[in-house]
Amino acid sequence: MKTSNQLLERSFKNIFLLSLLLLLFSCENLEVETPDHLLTGELLFQDPNAVEAAMVGIYAALRTKVILTGDSQGLSNLLGNYTDEMDYYSPFGLPEEQFYKNTLAANDPFVAELWNGAYNQIYAANAILEGVTDSPYFTPEEQELFKGEALFIRGLVHFYLLNLYGDIPYITTTNYLENKSAPRQATEEVYTLIIADLLQAKALLPETDSSGEHVRPTESTATALLARIQLYNENWEEAELYASQVIDNNGWEPNVENVFLKTSASTLWQFSPDESRKNTIEARTFIVLAAPPFTRAMSNILATAFEPADQRKEHWVGEVSDGTNTWYFPYKYKLGLGANSSEEYSIVFRMAEQYLIRAEARARMGDIAGAQADINKIRARAGLANTTATSESELLTAILHERRVELFTEHGHRFFDLKRTNQLDAVLGPVKPGWNTTDRLLPIPEKELLVNPNLQPQNPGY
Amino acid sequence: MKNNYRRSYAYALSFALFLTYNSPIFSQNPPQKNISGIITDGEDPLVGVNVLVKNTARGSISDLEGRYSVRASANDTLVFTYVGYKTQEVSVGSLSGSLSGSRSRSVSRSRSLSHSSGGIVFNVVMEVDAQALDAVVINAGYYKVSDREKTGSITRITAAEIENQPVSNPLAAMQGRMAGVNIVQNTGVPGGGFSVRIRGRNSIRADGSEPLYIVDGVPYPSQSLGDYNLSPVIGDAQSALNGIDPNSIESIEILKDADATAIYGSRGANGVVLITTKKGKAGKTTFKIGSSTAVGTVTRRMDLLNTEQYLAMRREAFANDGITEYPSNAYDVNGTWDTDRYTDWQEELLGGTAYYHAASASINGGGAFTQFLINGNYREESTVFPDDSKYKKGAVLVNLNHTAPNDKFDIQFSGNYIFDSNDLPPFNLVREALVLPPNAPALYTEEGELNWEEGTFKNPLAAWNGEYLSETNTLTANTVLTYRPIHNLILKANLGYVANTLEESRTAPHTIYDPAFGLDSSSSSLILNNGSRGSWIVEPQIGYDIALGKGKIDILLGSTFQKEKTSRLQQSASDFPSNSLIYNPAAAANLSITANSEEVYKYQAVFGRLNLNWDHKYIANITARRDGSSRFGPANQYANFGAVGAAWIFSEEPILKNNISFLSFGKLRGSYGSTGNDQIGNYRFLDTYIPSGLTYQGIQGLQPVQLYNPDYGWEVNKKLEAALELGFFKDRISVTTSYYRNRSSNQLVGIPLPGTTGFPSLNANLDATVENTGWEIELSTTNFQKGNFRWENSLNISYPKNKLISFPGLEASTYANTYVVGEPLDILLLYNATGVDPETGIYTFQDFDGDGAISKPNDLKSVVNLSPQYFGGLQNSLSYANFSLDFLFQFVKQKGRVFQYTFSMPGQMENQPIEVLDHWEQPGDQSGQQLYSAGFNSEAYTAYNNFYSSTGSVGDASYIRLKNIALSYTIPQKWTMDVGCKIYVQGQNLLTFTKYKGLDPETLSTNNLPPLKVINAGVELTF
Repeated sequence: MKTSNQLLERSFKNIFLLSLLLLLFSCENLEVETPDHLLTGELLFQDPNAVEAAMVGIYAALRTKVILTGDSQGLSNLLGNYTDEMDYYSPFGLPEEQFYKNTLAANDPFVAELWNGAYNQIYAANAILEGVTDSPYFTPEEQELFKGEALFIRGLVHFYLLNLYGDIPYITTTNYLENKSAPRQATEEVYTLIIADLLQAKALLPETDSSGEHVRPTESTATALLARIQLYNENWEEAELYASQVIDNNGWEPNVENVFLKTSASTLWQFSPDESRKNTIEARTFIVLAAPPFTRAMSNILATAFEPADQRKEHWVGEVSDGTNTWYFPYKYKLGLGANSSEEYSIVFRMAEQYLIRAEARARMGDIAGAQADINKIRARAGLANTTATSESELLTAILHERRVELFTEHGHRFFDLKRTNQLDAVLGPVKPGWNTTDRLLPIPEKELLVNPNLQPQNPGY
Repeated sequence: MKNNYRRSYAYALSFALFLTYNSPIFSQNPPQKNISGIITDGEDPLVGVNVLVKNTARGSISDLEGRYSVRASANDTLVFTYVGYKTQEVSVGSLSGSLSGSRSRSVSRSRSLSHSSGGIVFNVVMEVDAQALDAVVINAGYYKVSDREKTGSITRITAAEIENQPVSNPLAAMQGRMAGVNIVQNTGVPGGGFSVRIRGRNSIRADGSEPLYIVDGVPYPSQSLGDYNLSPVIGDAQSALNGIDPNSIESIEILKDADATAIYGSRGANGVVLITTKKGKAGKTTFKIGSSTAVGTVTRRMDLLNTEQYLAMRREAFANDGITEYPSNAYDVNGTWDTDRYTDWQEELLGGTAYYHAASASINGGGAFTQFLINGNYREESTVFPDDSKYKKGAVLVNLNHTAPNDKFDIQFSGNYIFDSNDLPPFNLVREALVLPPNAPALYTEEGELNWEEGTFKNPLAAWNGEYLSETNTLTANTVLTYRPIHNLILKANLGYVANTLEESRTAPHTIYDPAFGLDSSSSSLILNNGSRGSWIVEPQIGYDIALGKGKIDILLGSTFQKEKTSRLQQSASDFPSNSLIYNPAAAANLSITANSEEVYKYQAVFGRLNLNWDHKYIANITARRDGSSRFGPANQYANFGAVGAAWIFSEEPILKNNISFLSFGKLRGSYGSTGNDQIGNYRFLDTYIPSGLTYQGIQGLQPVQLYNPDYGWEVNKKLEAALELGFFKDRISVTTSYYRNRSSNQLVGIPLPGTTGFPSLNANLDATVENTGWEIELSTTNFQKGNFRWENSLNISYPKNKLISFPGLEASTYANTYVVGEPLDILLLYNATGVDPETGIYTFQDFDGDGAISKPNDLKSVVNLSPQYFGGLQNSLSYANFSLDFLFQFVKQKGRVFQYTFSMPGQMENQPIEVLDHWEQPGDQSGQQLYSAGFNSEAYTAYNNFYSSTGSVGDASYIRLKNIALSYTIPQKWTMDVGCKIYVQGQNLLTFTKYKGLDPETLSTNNLPPLKVINAGVELTF
């Protein structure tokens, strides 16, 4: 009895002393390792393959959900309906309904989705920039490539936000404490920042895309966007310069039927499709299978805007009929769901736009011949005779027309063109009953103004 | 230096010598005598009284007749101890000596002694300890306190109440018995879950208000490992408390206010549920075996339309919609189905009888120093569904205690192992039973096959060709080592371990679909869910008490180390070559992993308690804890909590004690302090990336999902309480009234962020405050206590009030249409239903914003409060001779969603309650219900949809239930040859009184089975 008592006593004392020791070391840290099934930023930015996955994650998001998507909530469809390119037929609340009626309100969920989706990808791009810059885990070449792509994304997405909402905050960090009270910045200031980012990207991005499919942005892509921006800002010389750089270094697809194939020589940057889809989302959104259309279709205004014999009407516009009436739809991309092979990718930047940019810049600078040459390049492919415009104003009208029939339903070119030439009211006023002058800007989403008062004031008219 | 060593050596040596001198080996022993006698309380023999020979290993326990016998010498002292009675110490030397004559006069009346040859007979009468309330010792978690002197709000039930109830989950045993504790059963299916709210809901997140469960000092994780997607029959997921066996519970204490819960720091905000399992008791080795059988049926059914009324409704509906030729899919009216058939589907699908069988055995025994208890239980429950599903549960409890004879130390071990298996039906039939048209075809054809009536009948039993199986194992083990080196000092270590595993599976073979679709096993699928969790805890503690004159100071200091690891794997498989391989995922053509996680949770704390007690009249209790948890961001892992409680037993003041004789006890107590809530998942503060599901260039893209928040920290709940406890007429009437006010802030929510940050919200602490206030009244009375008859009553009633006091940025958050500042959290924002338009027969609603349309969210302006207004229970206990009868009525006053919320629009192809018979039929009619429509009147359809979200879908859901009634009879031992035999009959949920228009006012749902009414009979033998 006595011995076992002592044994117990001793072992108990040991346990107690041990726990007392633990007590003394109670400042032991409570850190737990990130479990295997979760990936944190810290771990992601130690592995170039993971960063590559994060980078393509941004492209995949832009392709499928956010602003540049061909899905019905992307700019191609929304701004097509907003202007005079598309008509809306559905009785149910599809994303473009309020856009079509020009009755956008500050609490519209699709307006909010454009804003939130865009800034979410800007965050992702900033995260990559911050994670990769000066990091020992990446070689200088890897750092350059990732930084180039991230800066390009940042410039590109802010560009669209700026042209949709007017003055916006330019976000360059992932620090939410700063970003949650970021104020609206003046358009000129934002353009300066965008141009700075794009120039840096231009220096870092490679000349050609290693995949051979033009699915990653290259130096030419950055230059193409710079050309567009300089045109919008009426810096004609720079616009011509950049456009020329792109034109001189890239090819041209002469055959109008092949322009939207994935092998088109005119493509500067296109989206690699999702494995399950194989082709573009635009095809599914725009092709009308049966008459009468029950979601959307091309507006008659646009369908009848083509010159007779314009091959683009022939190859890029489809039609359906119920025997009595005919409806048209954008048919640039022809392979929808169910196609077995991958033939078409969604194109973001292509050569035709560069020619038109240069034409406009040249016209503005007085280079009539140069402008005509560029316009005719486009017209020739469309099977049309040379342009008859000779004066600057005639040329500008002709260029606007060409842009209209060449670049329809491609990420909102129509809306941006009418806006930058101050023709929105003149052109849309007569044909869109809901149109107001203040519709030149989208409303800042209501929730944003509630949570970040620095975003005040709201755009006029909302 | 050398001198020091020599000195300490000298001390150690003399100490050792001192110890050895005191050991029994060295003490001189005069001759030993046998001392025996009978111990009584003045009338009856006392069983189990501890008789010790002080400072030796010798001792004895009084047997069933109060007899004891012990050997001692004249030098020894005998110590008699028994709970609830005053301890007596007698020197043996004073017993021996001269015979009864002169001795007896100077001996107090509590002793009588005589000499017999070779031994001394010494009978003892034990005196009840006047402080009767003191005898009730309450487990407050880290310390024990007497009911009389406690400064906190703690409520308690014991094995006596739990044994009377035929339940398999301890939460069911607690319903209606404790003030401030609202427990709602979610479904009547065995293994189903409960929702527990102690003093209301503190957290804006619906899943953040669970209390902390502690079993024998070991925190018991209460989040289920189950996935409710696998078995919707259970309602939510399986209750994790199925892993605690009610038969092994000795007592359940619930700690409510700051004084009681602050010592649990960051986990005590929602209250603490302490479960103590049974312990071995000293005494003759006792065997107990018991067996019982019960039958159960559904407590309530709804009154539904019969075939005639139903068909009349359908015909009128089509007529209202202007349809004369019935559509081809209107099988019930267009002649496809027999219009004369009638089946009471509730009877067919829910009307079965559930059978319960339970058997238990236990061995209990031990001497003065070592006691043990081994308890085993097995239980089987079937369901009311027309199948043979069963819930099986087996449990083993082992408890060992050992105390050293020198009373210096103690070791206590408890181990519990529970195994349960459940093969409930994979799909719920409750809604089907209510809405199937009464003339729907038979379930089986004449050949015994499932009847599809040529593709027109979606047979509800087809879904049962699939199976749901689940097996869980739970092990809780706990050891407490206590060492008392000197009289006032206690060193203690509490070591515990809990392990749970769960394996769940659900199959959906192609046979659940109509064979006419021509499917084969390539459409069969399987879902598997496996989870496991292990958690260990170490808590070393030091306790010291100091006596200073009339006062006493108790100090406790301790620390906690806990680590928990949870892993889960969920897989889904489809496309099997044959259904006989359906349980083998390797045979499936498609196999994917739907969830895979492994989480670690670490927790550390230091805590302390200081209790000052002056003259048993003025008591102050100060508790504090410093906690750290891995669930929070690195900047905020540690926090401090504390509370102050005080009590004044004013009935002991001379003025009151001497003058007001009917007031036997009066105490005023109050407390204030802070506690925390850490109930969020792990890793919420990390910036994580997940595969977006989209590929680009063949690579799976990654996208960021949330922001990094190093400041993620605790929710804080500050609790204030004041209470008055009174006892009258020697405590024959005791009443406690308490008022509490809890304010919970620093709420863990998704704080809305502007989109420019990249995300819509951040997991962070919001400065929103939720307040719970309320009154609790507990009244117990002993109505009769004469001779053999005793009648006691106890009533508990709680009046809770909940309010969202502030929520900055509510309008911009995702909660904008769920909560309103100034209203309780459990509200609904609804349209205001303004009756049926007598001209059109369609529901109308108030157009708050005047825009001519009824739309969300602008017209959802009526606030309806679903939290209970008051709730409680009334318990009666009567005992006469060997009979005892206990019954409990539980009552709740509340509102809930009524049948119109879950039934579809009357006139469509679904049965309805008879309430719809009173409806609008023609212009000019005044009625509460709109016209019948078969679904082709879009105005009526829209109006009915709006009605779901209107005040018309909410009604009174108050109820009174005879929750439990238990009658037991202990057969007198003279008839049973000294074998203790108790027979009993018990009933659970036997009667329900309610005006509720729906299936069940407690579950408030037509998707879940109502609780069952159960009658149980059994016998228990003790020998």
